[in-house]
Amino acid sequence: MATVTAPLPVGVGHVEGKKFKLNELLRWSVDHKIIGIQYMMTAFFFFIVGGALAMMIRWELLTPAIDLMADGTSYNQLFSIHGTVMIFLWIVPMMAGFGNYLLPLMLGAKDMAFPWLNAFAFWLIPPAGILMLSGFFVGQAEAGWTSYPPLSTLFSGDGQTLWAMSIHLLGLSSILGGINFIVTIKNMRPQGMGYFQMPLFAWAILATSIIVVLATPFLAGGLTLLLLDRVAGTAFFNPAEGGDVLLWQNVFWFYSHPAVYIMILPAFGMLSEILSVHSRKPIFGYRAIALSSLAIALVGFTVWAHHMFTSLTPELRIPFMITSMIIAVPTGIKVFSWLATLFGGKIHLTSAMVFALGFLSMFVIGGISGVMLGSIPVDIHVHDTYFVVSHLHFVLYGGSVFGIFAGIYHWFPKITGRMLNERLGKWHFIFTYIGFFFTFFPQHVVGILGMPRRVAEYAPEFQGWNVLISVASFVMGMATFILLYNIVISLRNGKEAGANPWRALTLEWQTSSPPPAHNFIGDPVPFKNPYGYGTKAAWEYLHKQEEKLGESVDALNVDKPASSVPAGD
Amino acid sequence: MTLPKTVQSSGRSSNAILWIAAAGAAIIVGGIVIAQLQPLFFPTVGSAEAQQVDALFRFMFAIGGMIFLLVEGVLVYSILRYRVKPGDLSDGPPIQGNTTLEFVWTLIPAIIVLVLTIYSWAVWSSTHSIKPNEHTVSAVGARFAWTFNYVIDQANLPDGVSIDQLNPEIADDLRDGGISFSYNQLATWVDQPVAVSLTTQDVNHAFWIPGMRVKQDLLAGRTTEIRFTPIEAGVYRIVCAELCGAGHGAMAGQVVTQLNEAGEEEQVLQGAWLIVYPDEATYRREFFEPEAMHALFPPEDPVLLGRQILASGEYPCATCHKLTDLNWATGVLGPNLDGIGDRADDRIPNLTGEEYIHQSIREPYAFLVPGYGAIMTQFNDEPNEPNYMPEEDLNAIIAYLLSQTAGVEAVSN
Repeated sequence: MATVTAPLPVGVGHVEGKKFKLNELLRWSVDHKIIGIQYMMTAFFFFIVGGALAMMIRWELLTPAIDLMADGTSYNQLFSIHGTVMIFLWIVPMMAGFGNYLLPLMLGAKDMAFPWLNAFAFWLIPPAGILMLSGFFVGQAEAGWTSYPPLSTLFSGDGQTLWAMSIHLLGLSSILGGINFIVTIKNMRPQGMGYFQMPLFAWAILATSIIVVLATPFLAGGLTLLLLDRVAGTAFFNPAEGGDVLLWQNVFWFYSHPAVYIMILPAFGMLSEILSVHSRKPIFGYRAIALSSLAIALVGFTVWAHHMFTSLTPELRIPFMITSMIIAVPTGIKVFSWLATLFGGKIHLTSAMVFALGFLSMFVIGGISGVMLGSIPVDIHVHDTYFVVSHLHFVLYGGSVFGIFAGIYHWFPKITGRMLNERLGKWHFIFTYIGFFFTFFPQHVVGILGMPRRVAEYAPEFQGWNVLISVASFVMGMATFILLYNIVISLRNGKEAGANPWRALTLEWQTSSPPPAHNFIGDPVPFKNPYGYGTKAAWEYLHKQEEKLGESVDALNVDKPASSVPAGD
Repeated sequence: MTLPKTVQSSGRSSNAILWIAAAGAAIIVGGIVIAQLQPLFFPTVGSAEAQQVDALFRFMFAIGGMIFLLVEGVLVYSILRYRVKPGDLSDGPPIQGNTTLEFVWTLIPAIIVLVLTIYSWAVWSSTHSIKPNEHTVSAVGARFAWTFNYVIDQANLPDGVSIDQLNPEIADDLRDGGISFSYNQLATWVDQPVAVSLTTQDVNHAFWIPGMRVKQDLLAGRTTEIRFTPIEAGVYRIVCAELCGAGHGAMAGQVVTQLNEAGEEEQVLQGAWLIVYPDEATYRREFFEPEAMHALFPPEDPVLLGRQILASGEYPCATCHKLTDLNWATGVLGPNLDGIGDRADDRIPNLTGEEYIHQSIREPYAFLVPGYGAIMTQFNDEPNEPNYMPEEDLNAIIAYLLSQTAGVEAVSN
């Protein structure tokens, strides 16, 4: 292969069979597996931070008047940082973490194409996170995660400057990561794995990385102008001195609409893996799913101004309505292909699978409301209301976050060598799913009825709905601690997983759990079809794998009482 | 682990077509039923545009409902039907895909979105087109209130008023094209197309009337427009839908319960509302003529003039400040103005009450009342600057505020 992997420094990386060590994770390492875990742990920390902010938002909204917060400004800071943290410090780096950990393994490679750059990209994130949160000490950003000027330039506190600098760093991290993924996929596939033999997660990472590399520079450009307006007295966005407020909206959404695909495509990829493995059936329409990711990436660049249906010149709105409607088609292809994968399969309701099915059932609601929002007259009524809040959480929580949870249950055994507790996994799912639905579904209704988003005070007739939403959100928030508890006890007491507890065909399972420093002993041979379940050849491949790597726990057979380890309670 | 020894595939039900037809019918009926529920969770239909938009919503709920039922139906069916029996370690059938099926589920959604696009385009073209004989009002958004400006010209003078009765300055302005008066509510009448031009004094806002189903952003440095035709008399809340700062949530119509002169509780509208009168005559009698009279014959007494200016909503004070005399009952972002006349002298050493209020409006950040943030708008004396307040208006406002001594002693401070 064309790219040479730098040799790993001595003493860095896992030694085979050794336990998962915390102090390795706090140090500079160029091992993609350690970097992947570092991404995930950092992101999870910020998930808790962003979640705590969300809980405060919901607490404030229990009553129509401002009472928890001192005033509207502090409330505005809450949701501004909630949104920014959840997007830039939770979902995006979490997906990068999965990509880092899994991609080289799935490709049978020893590491990413540029290991040092990989580590550098990760280490940009902690300082960016600190910068973002330190805004609370100097007058936090209060203009929303979209930060429209002139509110963000002429009226917001110094935290807004830190906010922009922080996102600059996070954007740089994304770009470096994206380049690394593209080069890795291009150059480091093993013998016998063409593009159309890659796992669909690798396809999703490829499409995501193309978007990251093409779109993120626009965000960087916009942020630079915003910073100059704030600190150097320029007037790019100040109409009083010849600037234009719509310039920011165009540049911002030119990045931030593709960014929603940066957040959802990797989750689509994980879903393709998990649904196929846990229903023991080949993914239905592999090529259509792979290519629809690319179609989404491409069309995703032409829809940005549907976020501006109430600010854009009326005639210009129509072309963006057309493209926004078109992008529903490739997404629909994926959903139908996943359903067809399940249909006729052998469905094992593992924790990973129930989250994947939960994703499918909730994401479709976000997809339908997304098409509605693509229509100008409909969007005009519900734009900037709780309907939009609901839509974006259905795709980003019901989609991306459910996908992340499914991915955690599915790959935790590979990463740590131990199974997560299935019974706790089910409780985590039940509370998350019910809490999620009753948090976000009623928001459609309050939005349509007339409640705008980003308000600390609202008309009293909406209080009943808001109490329901807040209570449900508290349930959903607390459910996350079931997962954390599960992770902690499973790291100590979880059942030994073995190399391939799910009997999956992709290459990351063709090595011990956790994998050795250089991932594989010898060069792994990929199975010709990563989803070739139900064939004699697959059976033989897995049989040979078992002879080589030893028996794994029978994790798919969840109904056998022996497979669920008591939770230590 | 035990690897599967055999590969199984599930059999096919012989009357599958019947079942599929029945499920399809159920899905279609379900979608239609969901669409019929639409009025239950929508605000009042107040405009011709709302009728069209709601019809589009209903159509989308029908299509979306069918897709929802199809996807969830297949999902639930698969989970129930294909969940493995305990101990079953076999794989499903090795089906990789089906070109016909994939073609169908690409084509049908493509047709659906095409239909939705054309329908939406038609509704949009019709709702935002310019109507004949529009009633034009200009609206100004400022942190955190709405002001509506109505034009008085020679053609719409109140009954019984002739231009010769007016003070010469006002009469000249009237001959030059008209004068305007401000009000914090938007008033119009049934079946009259309205066009509102929108400008902002500071940041972006968005003008939204849920009952009319119309919304348009106010963009700093630009003038935008919104139009609608009310079809139902009544009051409709106006809401700011674009984040504009600390008082964003309060920049909307509110209802306060107050005691009236008879000592009974009554509901009073405060802040921004759209008032739709049944016809033009009622609009003129109940709203336009009384308000126009105030503007045509301004009081000589500065206290009364100041009161009239503040009461009109020309300046965005009522959202943040309380003042019982003017029924401002909801503001919490700024200090309570009741009894301000008693306190103004003592606020800052060496400043008289008059100087203090003057400074509070021209340079609000020079002194902040403890407990309140730096969010008040600064009012300038330059006509070409945003938030322009002429010195005459300011003097009248100061005179009025200094007269506010009898009110509640500053409890909230």
